[in-house]
Amino acid sequence: MALASGSARLALARPGRLGLGSCGAPRRGAYEWGVRSTRKPEPPPPDRVYEIPGLEPITYAGKMHFMPGLARPVFPPWDPGWTPPKFRRLPPLHEHPLYKDQACYVFHQRCRLLEGVKQALWLTKTKLIEGLPEKVLSLADDPRNHIENQDECVLNVIFHARLWHSTEDIPKRETYCPVIVDSLIQLCKSQILKHPSLARRICAQNNMLSTTWNRGSTLIQVHGSSGAQLNAKDPLPPIASREEVEATKNHVLETFYPISPTVGLQECNVYDVNDDTGFREGYPYPYPHTLYLLESANLRPHRFQPDQLRAKMILFAFGNALAQARLLYGNDTKVLEQPVVVQSVGTDGRVFQFLVLQLNTTDLASDEGVKNLVWLDSDQLLYAHFWCLPVVRRKAVVGPL
Amino acid sequence: MAAARCWRLVLRVPGLSLHTAAGAAVTAPEVTGPDVAAAPVARYPPLVASLTADSKAARQRRVERWQATVHAAKSVDEKLRILTKMQFMKYIVYPQTFALNADRWYQSFTKTVFLSGLPPPPPAKPDTEPAPALDVAALRAAACDCLLQEHFFLRRKKRVPLYLEREAIASPFLDQLVASLTGLLSARNPALAAAALDCKRPVHFYWLRGEEIIPRGHRKGRVDALRYQINDKPHNQIRISKQLPEFVPLDYSVPVEVPVMNCKPDKLPLFKRQYENTIFIGTKTADPHCYGHTQFHLLPDKLKRERLLKQNCANQIEVVFRANAIASLFAWTGAQAMYQGFWSEADVTRPFVSQGVITDGKYFSFFCYQLNTLALTAQADQNNPRKNICWGTQTTIYAMKWMDKRSNKNPRVRSKSSENEMPDVEYCHVRNKVNSSKKNTGNQFCPSPALQSLHERTSLGHDVDERYTYGLESANDGILLKNLPLQA
Repeated sequence: MALASGSARLALARPGRLGLGSCGAPRRGAYEWGVRSTRKPEPPPPDRVYEIPGLEPITYAGKMHFMPGLARPVFPPWDPGWTPPKFRRLPPLHEHPLYKDQACYVFHQRCRLLEGVKQALWLTKTKLIEGLPEKVLSLADDPRNHIENQDECVLNVIFHARLWHSTEDIPKRETYCPVIVDSLIQLCKSQILKHPSLARRICAQNNMLSTTWNRGSTLIQVHGSSGAQLNAKDPLPPIASREEVEATKNHVLETFYPISPTVGLQECNVYDVNDDTGFREGYPYPYPHTLYLLESANLRPHRFQPDQLRAKMILFAFGNALAQARLLYGNDTKVLEQPVVVQSVGTDGRVFQFLVLQLNTTDLASDEGVKNLVWLDSDQLLYAHFWCLPVVRRKAVVGPL
Repeated sequence: MAAARCWRLVLRVPGLSLHTAAGAAVTAPEVTGPDVAAAPVARYPPLVASLTADSKAARQRRVERWQATVHAAKSVDEKLRILTKMQFMKYIVYPQTFALNADRWYQSFTKTVFLSGLPPPPPAKPDTEPAPALDVAALRAAACDCLLQEHFFLRRKKRVPLYLEREAIASPFLDQLVASLTGLLSARNPALAAAALDCKRPVHFYWLRGEEIIPRGHRKGRVDALRYQINDKPHNQIRISKQLPEFVPLDYSVPVEVPVMNCKPDKLPLFKRQYENTIFIGTKTADPHCYGHTQFHLLPDKLKRERLLKQNCANQIEVVFRANAIASLFAWTGAQAMYQGFWSEADVTRPFVSQGVITDGKYFSFFCYQLNTLALTAQADQNNPRKNICWGTQTTIYAMKWMDKRSNKNPRVRSKSSENEMPDVEYCHVRNKVNSSKKNTGNQFCPSPALQSLHERTSLGHDVDERYTYGLESANDGILLKNLPLQA
């Protein structure tokens, strides 16, 4: 009984707490009390001289060494003046300089929205259009833009990422997902001879984005890094014409009562309202071009579902676009003359989601008025399946080599 | 009776001649294939040494049988498997090492000759048209952009502490630099446009060199080959599908000698371990991009310049770069050669060439490596006049002077107020380092004379001004690249 430790004690259903009639188990086990050999020795009791009131005992403190006959000095407790970072406690939230009474709902890179794309559309006051816009599709269909031996190159890229790039027999998703995205981007960049504007772009990682906006009475913020981001020197041209933008006034945002639109977002009272694109002023590549969101966790429960990934893409693209719009046109809420366009690609190594978002308005508080537009191309498989090792049944190779 | 006498006579002959006779007898029917009808067929089986006897001849025959299986292997994977499947204790060679004078040791392990400077330019072919002029300004601007982005413009979550600076700032900077420069230079070199870019992919190589007498154990006193393994992880590497042309001919005799070390490699220090022998260039053998172009290495904090100077090892600064280059590039070119089916008994018939850029975030050095021979084992190296060659430059810097606009105090002390200001980048002296490493197209590789002269003028190592976080501006012509407006 004396050996019962903390966790085992709970199993004993704490008979000692009932008062009398305890089983005899101590309230704290030996581990919590301290093993006897490691206990600090008790300080000696103060001299009896200190109990005499009105008398100042003569101590050996001045002599700096023990002197028999003189009293033991009692020193005031020492305040070191600083605490090592290991033992520092954070001040309570109320005392933080950025504490605000109004709660803010923050979307960061691990937030999974319950309603997925619908919720993201409501939060960003956006209208969804399935499929990529004509302008983008025409670029892809244009035979002049095709890379020579495109199929062979892409097949090589898939083989390289899924099979060749590591000494293991079956590479894990954490390695092959970034490899496949990097290789595909490199393949696109190989067209730099035909399209010199590809040289006016740069890739950045770990930039901290932060934007806040009001949606009705709730304050919503997108904060955090979204992975790799391609920035360009020239802005992307707007895709939808003014008529289409005006036509979105009639669109009604889909609500999903009784689910609150802020479910899945992190509620916090300590936040900073200032916008931050993640780059300082004077950056030579000011316009965000494409975001690349990778879901490269090995275990499926750690990866986002396609719907959640699409929602994350919408929100991060929107955050970048809003921060850019506020930088260019000021903080007032208005309908933008020149809409800001940001693209995004999300993948888990096999399934790709493409997104183009056009920010038409920064007036997000009300539900009426011009809405933003998003074109979404979801669940595009780069390849159906990939067997790293040949499937052998009854000593005969059945599956692909 | 006569046959018995013959047999006894033959036995008295030392093993070697028996073996060669056996060899001649064994190879005779294979060599004279078409003539077999003309020559008489041997009436008795060839006299060869035993396979299982405890004798040198038997061991030699077993070794040759094993080598014959390697020669007869149908695919490269099978060949590599046979060469690497037996595991024994081997020395682990680390390209990035703190060992003193490691470059001389590595030269002896890899039979490499080190020549300072860059290889000679190839003779200009009269029929090919001259290449378009190199747009150095654009390259410089791209490099400046990458540098400024990582060091200044990018707002990160937390202020990066000093010990994480290398991996948080220098590493993405190098990634970006490689990507942007490859893109810009692919106009001059279409092979670069189609190249594969690897990021932190492993490179492994396993080879045998030299022999030793086993000092203790149940095999004490016997001769054993020395085995080495390199497990390297270059920060970036560029692989292409066509091989780079050679710098010098395959049998070019270099007047410099390969350094010979009189001690065992344990003295370096080098330690032995037994684990999987791997040979890997960054991809498996099936990849069409199986030839190497350039590798980029980032030196760790343990080997940084300030640390070496504090340890009074100022002369080891260059050694660190050279050792890294020799080991990494030898491993890469050796693995490339083995992927093509060459090995120590089947030596390379064409030289394998690769380049390397080694940096610690501020200082760069450029290396070129030509692998002329893989035959480094004691048996194969007996009559091998070929040597591998490594060309390398001194560490060259590109420097920026960060100045606090308000007060000319020590810029190392970055006060909170000065962080928000744009540093007054007086001049960003970016060397055209890319000239040498990236310009290597199929036909035009020439380190420019400007590069060579700049090398001589800006040799450093001792000129580092410790006060500044970013080294020293080089002596003379600071090329004004960016004069950014001062923030009020």
